[in-house]
This record gives sequence, C-alpha cells and structure tokens, in this order.
Amino acid sequence: MKDYLLKKMRYLFILHLCFFSIASALAQGITVQGKVTDAKGTALPGVTVVLKGTSIAAPTDAEGTYSINVPDGNGTLVFSYIGFENKEVPINNRTTVNVQLGANTEALQEVVVVGYGSQLKEEVTGSVQTISTKDIKDIPVSQVTQKLQGKLAGVQINQATGKPGQGMSVRIRGQLSVTGGSDPLYVVDGFPITGGIGAINPNEIQDITILKDAASTSLYGSRAANGVVLITTKQGTPGQTNVSFSAYRGIQKVPERGRIDMMEAVEFAQFKKEYYEDAGQPVPEIFQDPSIYEGKNNDWYGALLRTAPIQSYDLSITSNKDKLNTALVLGIFDQEGVVINNEYKRYSARLNSDYKVSDKIRIGLNIAPSYVFDNTPRTDGDRGTGILFNALHTWPIMPIYDDNGELTYYNNFPPETGNIYAYPNWVRSAQELVNETETISLLSNAYIQYEPIEGLVLKSTFNVETDNSEFFFFNPSTATSSINTPIPTTAVSIRDNYKSLTWLNENLATYTKSFGDHNFELLGGFTNQRFRYDRTRIQADTYADDRLPTVQAGLNINRGGTYSGVEEWSLTSLLSRLTYNYKGKYLFSAAVRSDGSSRFGEENRWGVFPSASVGWIMSDEDFLQDIPQLSFAKVRASYGVTGNNNIGNYTQYALVNNTVNAAFGSTVAPGAVVTSLANNNLGWETTKQFDVGLDLGLFNDRIQFIYDFYKKTTTNLLYSVQVPQESGFSNFNDNIGEIDFWGHEFALTTRNMVGKFNWTTNANISFNRNKVVALAEGIDRVYGTFHITQVGQPFGQFYGLVKEGFYMNEEDLNNSPQVPGRSTVGSIKFKDINGDGIITYGGDNDDRTIIGSPFPDFIYGITNNFQYGKFDLSIVGSGSYDNQLLVRHLYSTANLDGVFNMVEGVKYRFRSEENPGAGMFGTTVGGGNVTGIERDWMSSHFIEDASYFTIKNITLGYTFDEITKFIKSARLYASIQQAYIFTNYEGGPNPETSGNGAGNGDGGNLSQGIDLSNYPVPRTYTLGVNVNF
Amino acid sequence: MLTGCKDDFLEIVPETSLSSATFFTKPADFQQAINAAYVPLRSIVNDHAWLLGEMHSDNTYYARNPNFGATEQQEDIADFAIPTANGVTSNTHVRDQYRLDYQIIARTNQILASIDEVEFSDEALKNNIMGQALFLRAYAYFELVRYFGSVPLHLIPVPNRQEAALPLASEEEIYAQIIDDASRAIDLLPPKSVQEPGRATSGAARTLLANVYMVQKKWAEAETLLQEVVSSGEYALVPEYADAFSNSTGNKNNIESVFEVQFLEGSAGLSGNFLYSFLPRPMTAEELVTITGTSNPQPLSEEGNNTPTPDLIAAYEEGDEREDASIGYITLSGSSWKDGVYPYIKKYAKTHALHGNHGMNWPVYRYSEVLLFLAEALAQQGKDAEAITYLNMVRNRAGLPDYSGGDLLEAIYHERRVELAFENKRWFDLVRTGRAMDVITAYGERIKANPQDYYYPEGFGPRSHAFSNISLYYALPADEAALSPYF
Repeated sequence: MKDYLLKKMRYLFILHLCFFSIASALAQGITVQGKVTDAKGTALPGVTVVLKGTSIAAPTDAEGTYSINVPDGNGTLVFSYIGFENKEVPINNRTTVNVQLGANTEALQEVVVVGYGSQLKEEVTGSVQTISTKDIKDIPVSQVTQKLQGKLAGVQINQATGKPGQGMSVRIRGQLSVTGGSDPLYVVDGFPITGGIGAINPNEIQDITILKDAASTSLYGSRAANGVVLITTKQGTPGQTNVSFSAYRGIQKVPERGRIDMMEAVEFAQFKKEYYEDAGQPVPEIFQDPSIYEGKNNDWYGALLRTAPIQSYDLSITSNKDKLNTALVLGIFDQEGVVINNEYKRYSARLNSDYKVSDKIRIGLNIAPSYVFDNTPRTDGDRGTGILFNALHTWPIMPIYDDNGELTYYNNFPPETGNIYAYPNWVRSAQELVNETETISLLSNAYIQYEPIEGLVLKSTFNVETDNSEFFFFNPSTATSSINTPIPTTAVSIRDNYKSLTWLNENLATYTKSFGDHNFELLGGFTNQRFRYDRTRIQADTYADDRLPTVQAGLNINRGGTYSGVEEWSLTSLLSRLTYNYKGKYLFSAAVRSDGSSRFGEENRWGVFPSASVGWIMSDEDFLQDIPQLSFAKVRASYGVTGNNNIGNYTQYALVNNTVNAAFGSTVAPGAVVTSLANNNLGWETTKQFDVGLDLGLFNDRIQFIYDFYKKTTTNLLYSVQVPQESGFSNFNDNIGEIDFWGHEFALTTRNMVGKFNWTTNANISFNRNKVVALAEGIDRVYGTFHITQVGQPFGQFYGLVKEGFYMNEEDLNNSPQVPGRSTVGSIKFKDINGDGIITYGGDNDDRTIIGSPFPDFIYGITNNFQYGKFDLSIVGSGSYDNQLLVRHLYSTANLDGVFNMVEGVKYRFRSEENPGAGMFGTTVGGGNVTGIERDWMSSHFIEDASYFTIKNITLGYTFDEITKFIKSARLYASIQQAYIFTNYEGGPNPETSGNGAGNGDGGNLSQGIDLSNYPVPRTYTLGVNVNF
Repeated sequence: MLTGCKDDFLEIVPETSLSSATFFTKPADFQQAINAAYVPLRSIVNDHAWLLGEMHSDNTYYARNPNFGATEQQEDIADFAIPTANGVTSNTHVRDQYRLDYQIIARTNQILASIDEVEFSDEALKNNIMGQALFLRAYAYFELVRYFGSVPLHLIPVPNRQEAALPLASEEEIYAQIIDDASRAIDLLPPKSVQEPGRATSGAARTLLANVYMVQKKWAEAETLLQEVVSSGEYALVPEYADAFSNSTGNKNNIESVFEVQFLEGSAGLSGNFLYSFLPRPMTAEELVTITGTSNPQPLSEEGNNTPTPDLIAAYEEGDEREDASIGYITLSGSSWKDGVYPYIKKYAKTHALHGNHGMNWPVYRYSEVLLFLAEALAQQGKDAEAITYLNMVRNRAGLPDYSGGDLLEAIYHERRVELAFENKRWFDLVRTGRAMDVITAYGERIKANPQDYYYPEGFGPRSHAFSNISLYYALPADEAALSPYF
C-alpha cells in the first residue's frame, strides 16, 4: 500500500514538476534544489517552498527534495509546513539549499475546540471536557450519545428506551427546567443545530467537546443554560492521506435476567381460584382446576421479543495536502430491533472540504446528507398505548396461537371470569401495524475566511440544516395496540409529514496579538438564525379493505387528527470575547452575547449573557518547580449568565382556538375561544453559574486529575402557572421561580502501566444536587400525579403515602389509623403522617409525604484500557447510586381484583391471619373499595431503588500490521455492549429508564423517574474489523 | 435602520392560529365567540350534570359491578359520601362541573366586554348575540349558585394572572346578577319562532328567570313570567310524552322544547354518548345493539350509572304512559345481580348509526315544566283552581285523569318527579322545596337495609361511609381551592 501510494504521489509530483518547469522555462532564471528534513533528518514531503514576495513556489516530493526556478540568486526562500515553524533562508547564490524544519511547539500542545474558536487545552479557564471518537469507535450503537455513557464527569446520559435510534437523555450538571427543554445545545462544526444528533453517523465525528460552565457556554447566550456539546467532524491529518474501512456485525438479545416476573398460566388460574374462594363466591369453571393450564402458558411479553442482527459499515477517506483538506465518510447502519418487526436503517455521507485559496483566503464546505428509515411497533407507553406494557397485563391463559397454529385475533373471556377488557393479540399488533418514519436530512456548513493583516481573521459562515420526514401509520382492522379494542377494529391511517429548514449566518472577526508577555485575542461578531417547520397530518379511518390504506379509500377523514401546522423562530445575536494571558500562566477571559429572539415578548425582546473567567497555571511558577512530582497545576474560576429559550414559539401570544364548534339543530356553527392570556414580558430562563476548578498533572502526567465545583441558580423558569379555572383559563405562561443547583465533579486519568503492557484508567464521579428556592408567588408546591415539587426540596420528588405493611388482624386494625370505610384486615396499612388518627389521600394536609427521588446521590463511570503488544482490551462501566423509580406497571399488574395478569409476587399476598403472605401485597377480599387504596393511591409500595452499575461495553481487539502492501494495518475485535447490569432493581429490565408522567397531565420534568416498561435495552455481541489502507 | 430591520426579523406571529389582538374586531368574530360559549353545555350534560343533579337523589343509583373498581368518583355522589374537608372536595365531577360553568362565564364575559367597541351594521344581530351571552352567563351562575352557594363572581374577562381569582360573592349578589342578566336577555333575545333553532330565546330566558324566582319563592314574579311564556303561543305539549324527546337526528327543538343542549351525530366531534353512561354493565355487544341499533356495537365493561331506583319506578301511577316511555328493561347475561334484568333510562335511548356517537339533544327546559312551575307558583299563592288547570294539562297528556284531590303542592312535586325524571331536576327540587334532608336520609336507610334491591349482587352492599355526608351544597373543588387565595 505504502509503495502504491508513493508511486501515486510521485506521479502527482511529476505533474507538478512539469507545471513548474514550464513556468521556469518561461522565467529563464536559475534552479535551486535541496532536501527538507525534520530535526531527526527524516524527509518531509509536501513542504511548500516559496520565493518570498512572489508567487513562485514548489513542493517537496516524497523524498523531501524540491527544485525551484528563481530569477536570480538574491532572493529568500520560505519553507512552510503544517505542524512546523516557517523558516526563511536566503539563497545567497547557492543552487543547493538543504533545510531542517523545527517542530512548531504550539502544535505539539493539545488544542481543544471551544465556542467560536479553539484554545490550548492548558490555557482553558472554563470547565470543558473533550472526547475523541477514536477512543469510543468500537461501541456498536447507533447514536454517539450512547458511546459517551460513563465517560463524562457531570453529565448524566441515560438510555430510557431500547428503541433503535431513540431515547437518549443527556443532562449536563443536572440542569432542569420545568417545562422548557433540558437537552444541551448541539453545535456541529460551529452550527447550533435544531434537530437532535441521533441521526448523525458517529463515524463522521472526530471529537466532542462538552462545555459545562457559564464561561464556556455564555457565547451561546439564550440557548446555553443546559450546557453545550460541540461536535467537530472529520478532518484530514496534515500531510497525510488515509483510507480506512470499518465494519461490524452482531446480534442483540434481551437477557432473561431483569425481565419482570409475571404469573404463568397455572399460577394465574390458581390466583383466580383463590380470589373467588376467599370472597366466598363460586369459582368460575375455567379456574376450578388450575392444573389444566400445565404446559399451556402464554408468555405474551416474550412473544414480542426476538434475537436480532445489527450491522454497520463505514468507509472513510481523508486527505490533507497542499491547499486542500478533505474528508469523505460513507456509512451504512442497519439495526433490527429485538422487538419483532422493528427496523432502523441509516445511510449517510459526509464530505468536508477546506481549500486554501491563497495565504489570506480560505474557503470551506461541509455537506452531510443522510437517510433514516425507522419502523417501530408501538412498544412504549403505559396501559392502553404501549404493546410491551399491554403484553405484561394479558392473561397468560389467553392463547397466542389458536388450535390451528394461527395467531389469535383477540381474547375476551366472559364477564363472570372477572375479565373486563378485550386483549388484542399483541404479536399481531407488532407485525401488522405499520409505524414507519423516513427522514432525509441535510446538514451543511460553508465559510469563507480572510486574513487581511497578520493576526486578524474575518470569517463569514452560512449554515443550513433541513429535515424532511414522512411518517406513515396504518392500523389494519385485524390488529390494534390498545387494550380493550375488540377485533375487527376500525382501520386507521395517519400520514404525518414535516419539513424543517434552519439557516444561520455568522460573521466573526478574531484578532490575535501579543505585546511582549501580554497575549490578547479579541473576538466579535453578529449572527442571524431562522427556523421554520411545516407539518401536514392526515388521519383517515374506516377502510373497506386493509390492503388499500390510501387517504381516499378511508370512508372517514378524522378532523381532529387532520391538520397543518407551522413553527417558526428567529434569533439575532451580537457576540464578543476577550481572552488575555500574561506569560501564558495568568489567564483571563470575558465574553458577552446579546440575543434577540422572536420567542420573547415584545417588552422583553433582548437578553444579555455575560461571563468572565480567570485561571492560574501554578506549575509554571518558580516556587513549584522544586516539586518534580507535580507536572501541571492550574486553578480556575468562572462566573456567568446563560439562558434557556426553549419556551415554545408563540407562548407570548393570546391565541384563539377557532375549532370550538357548536351544533344548532342539524347545522355545525364554527366557534372560537381565546385559549390563553398574552404575556408581553415573557422571556428566557436565566441561569447564573459559578464554577471553580483544579487541574492537576502528577508524575509527568501519569496521573491527571480534574475537580470542579459548581453552583447555579436558575430563575425566571418558564412555567405554565396553573390559575384558578374560574378565570376561564387553566394556565398562564410566565417566568417564575428559582432553583439552585450545585455539585462536585471528579475526573481521574491514570496510566497505571506503560511499556509493552499498557493500562490506563479513566474514572469520574459526579454529585449533582438541586433545590427549589421559589415557585410563583402564593404557590409553594406543585402536585403531579405521583410527584411534588415543593419549595425547600429537590425538584419533582415522589410523593405519596408511606406503606407500613398490612393490618394483620382485628386488633391491629382497631389500634391503627385507618382509611375510613375502606381499611380491613389484610388491607394495606399506611403511616398517619399528619397524626389525625385516620389515613387521608388528597389535599394539602393529608398523609402523603416525600417517598423517594428520581435523582441519584451520585453518578459515576470507569473505563479501563489495556494493551499488550497487539492485543487491546477495553471495559467501560457506568452507574448511578440511590435514585428511585416508580414502577408504573404495578398499578395494574398488582391489581388485586385480578383484572390483569399479575406479578408473581402477588401469589404471596395476605390471605388470612394464618396465611399473611410475604408482606408485599394485601387481601383481595372486599373488591375495589379495599384493594383500590393499595392500587390507586400513590405510595412507597410502588417505589424501588434503581441504583445500578452497568458494564456498558467490553471490547477485545488484535491489530495486524501491514498484512499486504495495500493494507497498512488491520484490527479485529469482538465486543459485548450492555454486558451486565449490577442492580437490585426488580421493576423492569432497565434501571436507567426514566419516563415522565406527561401522559398523566403532568409536566415532563416535574415527574421524572417513571418506569413505563419501555423497550428493553438489548445485550449486543459483535465482531468487527477496522482496516487502514 | 438596522434596529428596525432587526425587529422585523424578530417579529413572528403564529400562522396557524389567530391571536386575541386580531380577534373580536368584526361581527363574525362575535358570532363565532357566542357559538363557542354554548360548547361547555355539551360536556356538562353529557358527563356531569346527571351525576350531580339526578344520581345525587332518590331517582337513580349506580348498578354495582363488583368486578370493577375505580368507581369512587361516581359512587361517592350517589352515596352522599363525597369526601369533604375544610369546605372543599376532591371529587372530579364536582370540579369539572364548576370549571365548565366558568368556561361559559369567561366566554360570555369576553363577548360582553368587547362587543360595544365593534360596529354592527345589523343592530338586531348585536342584540341577539348579547342576549344569548347574558342568558348563558345567567344560566351558568344559576347552576353554580344552586350547586355551591357562594362562588366567585366574574363579570369581566380576567386581564392577568394576578386577577385570575376573585373572592367568594354572597348568594344574594349572585342572584342579583343572574336576575339582571336574565332580565336583559329577555329584552334582547328574539322569540323562538324567529331565533335560529337551538339558540337561547326570549322564552328560554323568561323560563330561566322564572326558575330563579321559584327558588327564591317569589311566586308572583315567577307567575308573571310563566304566563308570558304560556301566552306567547310559541310552545305546546306534543301529544305523546315519548315524542317530547329528540331523536338522534330528528325531532330536535320541537314545539315543546324551550331550551335544549344541542348534539350532532357524526364525525364533527359534536356528538354525545350519555346514553352509554346510563346503561348497566357488563353488557355484551349483542345485548347493547337491541338498545342502540348501531352497526358496530361493542361490549360495555366497567360500571353503569343513572339506573332508575325502585323508588322512582314505584312513583308512577297506574296507567301513567310516562313509565313505559321513560324506563326500559334489559337482561344482562354477564351480571351477577339477581336475574340480571335491569331497568334503564329509555327516554333518551334512541337508535343511532355508530357506537358511542349519538345526536339526541338534552332537554333543559320543556314546556311541561313551564306548566308545572306555573301550577306551583299559583298554588303557592292560593290560586288552586288555576293551578289545577295547568297540572291537569300535564297529567292528561300522560294518559292520566285529572288531579283528584289531596295536597296540591305534594301532587305538583310528585308530578314534577315523574314528568321530569332523568332531566336533572330532582336534586334541585328537593333542595328548593326543603325536603332534601328527610327524603335522602330515608332513601339511604332503604339502600342500606336492602342493598340487593338497589342492584348490589348477593354478598355486596353499600360502602360503610355511604350516606354519611348529606349536605344541601356541594363543597367547592379542592383543585380550585389550591389555586385560589380566597377559599
């Protein structure tokens, strides 16, 4: 391969030489030749040799030699090469000039991408963490955020659902908003994008920088409060051309361990039999002999799962030579889901090009189209909507297959068996419902850069992001995803198409200048961004023939489900930053951004977001030079203000809903209602953040340690404040309240062993806390269905009764506080929190209290990399400690009325004084009046600790060098993703999940930590190869 | 220049929704606004009013299905066991009824506050819209004051968050406002023969105001208004009692109808499904279709409500045609109660095309009630002979002979019970006539003594706290109390 390339390069050089010789022939001067090497004497190909003050130039060839025709022997040659210092050599009438270039010392130091620029890592004064994707390249997942799990201090990344391509939640420093979004801002090659990064091929990414403190993020102004993730896509390595191919294939499975233990058919029938016996009622015939269900269990949940393949192929070509730096990445990703009939495919391409037109002008264009196909059955959601949740609830005596081996349509036992709902066949739901999304996206950046004088760079960029998405849903008459819908059902089709377009123009000037030991960089700029989203949704139903789900074949157009919509916003900004250091060790930076946004009320249209930071590289001081163990030490502090503008696009306006129609006689009369109050002062959420940090390097950086403490206060939270509905309105959008956040982050990198056996450990641990300081005036708490957000307490805590056990006998019942009219012997016993002698539920002074928190005490991650010769091994783990989850399915899978299938533990319920069970579940006697208080009232009965430590990935690889002359190197590896979860959590297979109660009318962030029995996260076994040509 | 340009760039108004700045500027806007003010009535009568006004009395009860829980919200109302503490209750139907009435009030306040600023070329249209708004506001406050007593009195649109809540107004203040609104509505509204069918009319406003006076025992004032309705020539009793009620698609706003809530069968989202709420369960599709006649019957699970009590059934006199017209019977194969033969409300049970989607209007005021009000107002003033004339008109239409003596007022009350059964009149009548405590206490004793007569299957009976909280007013909703500083 090497030879091949060399040949190719020679060919190119000959072409160049021809060109130059023509030039020289015309010039008729003298020819100067020579060889360019580095300090070690190694030849440097591709060095530019220019006669100073002219356009006469020549490159060096593969042997580092050059030949240049100059008019005479009096000029000066300038040698330049990326990564090396420029060198000027007078010709002095020589015909041979050999030159040794010295490495540019700055280039040897690590540079990190920061907002609107880049900086030497050691001079950074904010809290910034960078991950290079080469460290995470083998993790076999669709989204880059999955690869980051466990890697970042202060960043909680959870996978709430195993749906391919979906469900990642990223929270930087525990940032939360009540109703505004809490996702960080993603900036791809300088462009704050509006879609997620889920569709971006991880192999297009070179590195990822997380900006955490306000000094790092404040240049993103009103979008920065949730933190910023900077993504830099692939670039060529200076002077090199690289061709690489990587591929992996694997299989995914849902481990048996962690699945919810449900009753099997015999157990279920036995329960039902006991239920009627205990109630003194005749046992329905089908339950009289549970043993008839021996060997006839129907595992509805298991029937929806399968072992599924996953595969990924990427080709990457990068070249950075002469004036052109280009990178091409082509990717195919294909993941079949572990739920039947689920598929996720992505085809992506990215071409990044950067061309140096002249010494002063550069232009660049990045263009990245992608196509994503996704068909996901309606797996997630609680009762009624999610088939996984529904499958858990289906009676295991209901047959999946009929006697002929065909899938049943639905099962509905006679009412005297206690069956209330019709259960459709969920396997049919998964197989027959179409739930497809096709998305074509294009992400593009273009720029021109001009350097009129040394140190001054003017840059203008134009960025475009567009998404076109077509969603098609078809529910044939033979299947449904909803419980209690008999088959045949009404066939429904939904077409929901949208297109979105964002453009951003940025105009920036950067001026860098040093006066002696004083080094300045000044940045100024203005930007304009605009977003528009157009959506059309058509819902038709009542089809005569399931084979023809066109709009026109539907006998009815569902007006409520058919509509068009537009979302639009604009943002105009001014930004500036001063970075200053003295002797490279006293560091200072200040920045400010002003954002004007269409989302803000007209009385409050512009927000100003300033920040400042200082740093001191102590290890550069003389007095620390005596400590040789200390290789690097820096302290830094920052303070700044950022905003969150995720407040919706038209929230400030009083809107009129003109679909509130009335009937008069047999005519429809259009009606209109003012649905909200205007708020001309509506604005962004403000976060003020203080950060102090320490960076240490010990023993020649064998140990690197980073510590950060932060304290944030978020005020003016956008909240749809509930107002008394006597006003005719239910809510008023306002900026209210105050939340404090604080936390400690520790990151440690140690090179434990170096040499032939290399062992590196990266570990991090973060403690994030929050507390509600104020809500709206006159409001000190907000109740959710399962949560409370209360002044003086952390956000969105689980709120309910405290389960103390069960009333074991009459005496216990009579001596304990009761629920009037409902408590009986064997029913659940709650703690009388308010001490009034009875148990009450509802209102401000009942017996509910805080019974858990969805927020962990700490989160942590640890990665160990081992290398022995050509073998490498990497183990990534991440964990969370002392957070709770609400096990939502228990509301129905522990319904003691036997309406649904139940968790196995219900076998050990209270049956009598003599047979009091295991203390988990109460008596079935008394019906809903008694069982309802255990089932319907939020209590600690439903709360489980969800601490976990997950071995996210284990990869073992072996590298081959120069297999053939075409293959520079190749690496084979095997990997296990989601290898093992250490947890005591029994509420479901995924302790990382955190649904919210939005479906219960609660605000999303006020009601986190609900396990909705979502799509399980599979374990994935893969074999892969990386080849460099 | 730059600033001006920037502001344009930042000025983005919603394209798919009008904002209040551009609304309420032309007559058509007010037409739309008044139409929307009627909309909460659908939800009130479809989902809540029959619970608060009918099942909260001795006329109907729930048909207990012991296989089904989560029924407390309804059962607590029927059982006079609504959890109440510090004057507030968490019952959701109470809350929703309250909120829906205030929706009507807020929508009409918007109209009344801004209509004078807009030029109408057609003054009659303006008066008509104002009259409807005043009628609806009076109607909503009349419901509130009877359900709750003191409530906040909102008469202008709420301008901001801070003024969203108002202090409780006294019953006197509220009644004064209702009388004022209804009186103005009478002057502004056209009679039924001129008004678009289904909208409020001067006759409806007179009946509403007369009803207010009946509650206030201002018999003479009531009599005057009711006489005006009778002499208007706009109304008459339809010959057959069963025909007084609308079908799913026809017989709406008939000659007997003074005011009814409008429903429309079909996909426009204006249909009702209250008939289904009134059916005992579990009911198979085959059983259901005998009542509904739909092409796609689906089985009914959960628990049925508003089932006629044996007390009510016994109240019909021998030969009263209204009994058969009002009450039907259905045999449920899946029931564990006795032989599974349940009574159900038949007067609204009209066939329709699709499951859960029917267009029967809900009667608010019928002419027969005008006659009975008039009889009562006259009797209260000692004008028995005149009163009996009107009472007999109602009796004779039902196939019954003339009133034959006995306590005339009791006879009128009795007549109201059977004539207006299931029209959400019973609870208000019991309260208005001072009989609620006695009647309900006795009724509760009967249920506790004989639960199987009240649809409890063998082995089941009313919950221990049933009939423990008999009160003339509903407590205010807890969810509203949590947001209001005033209660």
